[in-house]
Amino acid sequence: MKALLIGLFLLSSLTSSFSYAGLMSEKEGEALRSLPVQADGRIKPFDSFAREMLELVYGKQKYEKRDAYEIILTWMLAPQTWQAKELFEVRNFEVLNRLGLDSQKRYYKGEELFSGAKFSELRAELAAKRETKEKLTPYFQALSRLENQYFVFSEIATGRMIRVLPPKEGNTWISVADMQQGPAQEKFLDLTKSFITLIGAMAEGRAESEIKTARQDLDSKVTAFQELARAENPEKYADQNKIDVESFYNRFHPFKWAYIFYLLGAVVILFSWITSKHKVMNPAWGLVIVGFVLHTLGFGLRSYLMDRAPVTNMYETVVWVAWGSIVFAAVLEKIYKFKFILMAGALIASFGMIIADTAPVVLDPSLQPLEPVLRSNYWLTIHVMTITVSYAAFFLAFALGDIGLIYFLKGENEHKDKIKAIVMSIYRSIQIGVVFLAPGIILGGIWADYSWGRFWGWDPKETWALIALLGYLAVIHGRLVGWVRDFGMVACGVLTFSLVIMAWYGVNFVLGAGLHSYGFGAGGVEYVSGFVVAHLLLVVYTTVIRNSRLKTAKV
Amino acid sequence: MSNKVLKFLASIKLAVLVIISIATLTAIGTFVESKYDAAAAKKLVYDSIYMNIVMGIFAINLIAVMVDRWPWKLRHISFIFAHVGILCIMAGQLITNQFGIDGSMRVGIGDENRFVSLPQTDVTVYASYDGTNYSKIFEKEVDFFKAAPTPDKPYNIYKDQIGIRFTNYYPYAVASRETVASDNPKLGSGIRFQISNGQANFIEWLVQRNPTHVVSIDLGPLKVHLGTIPLAGTGANEIYMKVDGDKIKYALFSKDAIDPKKEGTIAEGQAIPTGWMGLELRILRYLPKAEEKWKVEQRSQPTPLTTEAVEVEFQGKTKHWMLVNDTVKFFADDAAFFVSYGNRRFDIGFPIFLNQFHMEKYQGTSRAMSYKSVVTIKDIGEHEISMNEPLKHNGLTIYQASFQDGPMGQPVASVFSINKDPGRWLKYLGSLIMTLGIIFLFYFKRLGTGTHAKKS
Repeated sequence: MKALLIGLFLLSSLTSSFSYAGLMSEKEGEALRSLPVQADGRIKPFDSFAREMLELVYGKQKYEKRDAYEIILTWMLAPQTWQAKELFEVRNFEVLNRLGLDSQKRYYKGEELFSGAKFSELRAELAAKRETKEKLTPYFQALSRLENQYFVFSEIATGRMIRVLPPKEGNTWISVADMQQGPAQEKFLDLTKSFITLIGAMAEGRAESEIKTARQDLDSKVTAFQELARAENPEKYADQNKIDVESFYNRFHPFKWAYIFYLLGAVVILFSWITSKHKVMNPAWGLVIVGFVLHTLGFGLRSYLMDRAPVTNMYETVVWVAWGSIVFAAVLEKIYKFKFILMAGALIASFGMIIADTAPVVLDPSLQPLEPVLRSNYWLTIHVMTITVSYAAFFLAFALGDIGLIYFLKGENEHKDKIKAIVMSIYRSIQIGVVFLAPGIILGGIWADYSWGRFWGWDPKETWALIALLGYLAVIHGRLVGWVRDFGMVACGVLTFSLVIMAWYGVNFVLGAGLHSYGFGAGGVEYVSGFVVAHLLLVVYTTVIRNSRLKTAKV
Repeated sequence: MSNKVLKFLASIKLAVLVIISIATLTAIGTFVESKYDAAAAKKLVYDSIYMNIVMGIFAINLIAVMVDRWPWKLRHISFIFAHVGILCIMAGQLITNQFGIDGSMRVGIGDENRFVSLPQTDVTVYASYDGTNYSKIFEKEVDFFKAAPTPDKPYNIYKDQIGIRFTNYYPYAVASRETVASDNPKLGSGIRFQISNGQANFIEWLVQRNPTHVVSIDLGPLKVHLGTIPLAGTGANEIYMKVDGDKIKYALFSKDAIDPKKEGTIAEGQAIPTGWMGLELRILRYLPKAEEKWKVEQRSQPTPLTTEAVEVEFQGKTKHWMLVNDTVKFFADDAAFFVSYGNRRFDIGFPIFLNQFHMEKYQGTSRAMSYKSVVTIKDIGEHEISMNEPLKHNGLTIYQASFQDGPMGQPVASVFSINKDPGRWLKYLGSLIMTLGIIFLFYFKRLGTGTHAKKS
């Protein structure tokens, strides 16, 4: 209770540091962020569109500390200048070698990448490869990204991709390039002029009052254009409420705050645990609760924006699993009061969310429309959420296993009690995981029966979920007959999680086969394999150390 | 002794061994699927003898452990439920595999179909001794994927009494058509021609099925026919060709005039001006007796362009590649044979007529948002089948699976997946029982943990 109060206090002080109005509406001069545009099959704020496009081209959501929406608009206003800047992220050595470029850099100029005949040759090569319909190798995937970067940049530079005006008839919005002469075009021109004035004033470091006027002027021009666009076709125009919420979601970035609080919480728990100061647990709980509230808020916002539970791609499941691990850790912590359970939960939740936040090319954070088979289905949501939440429990067991390994390295005789507590927590976490995974697989079968007409078809995604379940069942049964003792439990908690990683990440990113193709992606394989191998080595190392100690103890 | 056997069969050692075996086998299966495709993984791993043996031992283990615990106590309830549930699911799956139907059906828009194409493949041979009436003389299920015929070990029909045998098989072949000379007098002729001027250049084959067959091709600005020369054209720019021994007779009709504008003979290698837009007709190759054959190349992995191909040999003389669901015709002195290799077709007993196919797209893109078929079926009239909204009729379930695009990118046909699953209820029952078992595990926890640990 006390912890909850502390949490509420922290949260209220956090929110009061922003004013409510400041949160929900843009700062002065930034109304452009919320300008509705049509892209990728939905209406979104210009800010979202700009972030996604800059990320595709540059790999980040900001360019030299300047916001994406500003950058994207200047691509259209001054494409030549941008061709001469190191804007395009290319990381594949083979592609760079073929283009005859120095492969030490990360960013390249448009003119060095696209102007020569070599780029056309590579595009022809890619087209020929696509013709064969074979799976693209990493080289061709990189080439495909380069082509996409080129396409996106040139389409934005010409204004063809920035669709700002709803049509009188039909569904495709009119782009800046295709706007007919008339009031709409004039208003948009006014908007761009004010924008140029503002960034010019800022770059020249004009007086504060002058900049303020320029900001107000730009905002009024954006509003004027928006009013006109809405009048063009009020039905097709955006739901302003959703646009504002999405713009807020982009700027506030609740998941980032969530992992910051989780990390702080984990540090405080560590302190409480080492120093045995039990009272310190209260603020720790408070921090974790604040993180959790923000986490839940972000999750809720995503659901509201897309009208569905956000569990349909890798990024979204990572966020969901992090959420689940906090819930399970908190429940077990409440029961057992071991401290390290909550710490493990906070650590893996922040670990997962930091990865989700820093690898946007692999884990795509953008809000995307769904494939036909995934639309409006109850069972889809249920089976994905149930299965992935079981991964949260196994992830917790994994983190606890890591802590256990540390104690075994420190010496099991000195830390008998702690090891017993850890082993028990691992066992409970695995039990929770099994309780969710087994019905989750069955629910997946029901959904598959309903959607594809068969209950079980050995699809790689379902098969690996089953393999993970079998792995943990083997551990539990092994424990029942005493094959798996304390050290075995700790080792299994760490090692069996590899099966979950394969089911969760590997099927989509390594195997890339089967009917769950809507979740497929590429990238990060070297890091994930490194993670798995590192833990395998840690277990082997601990086993060797422990065995040698046991031997000497016997002698 | 029998007690010892029971103890072993009911032992948790065996259970863990079986669990690990299933996990390993199926893991291999997923890698096979990743390298090849789902059909390969199913044939090589999931339906393999090893998988069946392991599953069999698993079932025995589950039953034995329940027998071993007899008489059951209340604390056994979750253990019994979980194990009975798994057995039910396995039994249901067995029934599905044995008696179920799982196939696909393609229906063109404005067309109907009543045959489901199943994964099993059959070889069928029809024979005719008078040239018009064919009767089936051979039909047998084959699995060339697992037991592929080779030149050394061919697959003979009727122990090779009629001389038809399959001599080679590629699971993943890329096929293209080629035209070759033949000495079979029953075949027609083939001409490879070029029509070109500075800008346009068409090179095509025209091949007659038999000497009286007329074959045509529309090249846009003009049409080319091989077979006969009529008295008048159809009011377009047309070239007609007719073979006459070593020579080819031709006639040119133009859009404006009815009478032949030009007539004459032309031979291989020669060219004549057509008089239209400076186009010139050149005969690149002339085969008095020609036949079209598949030319196939083997690939190590499947792609959307590969297909199964099998080579069939007739009386040690002619060899043909045929693709799956393809037919070839052979002529002997006194008989003709049709040989087919393809997926088994199952008559569902009623035709499905496809009235319309609708596709909705995400705004401003060409990405499909949803699609549905409007079908008419005799007893129920018009009905909509969409993604996740299947139609149940006569014990069959009809699902919207996908669609086919025409040459202009618009959908031309809907693809349904059609199945009958007599084991479904057992799988659902098993799932329910197993889930109850898991719930009981928590509810009755205080009644004593570890059903196994209690044994001393």
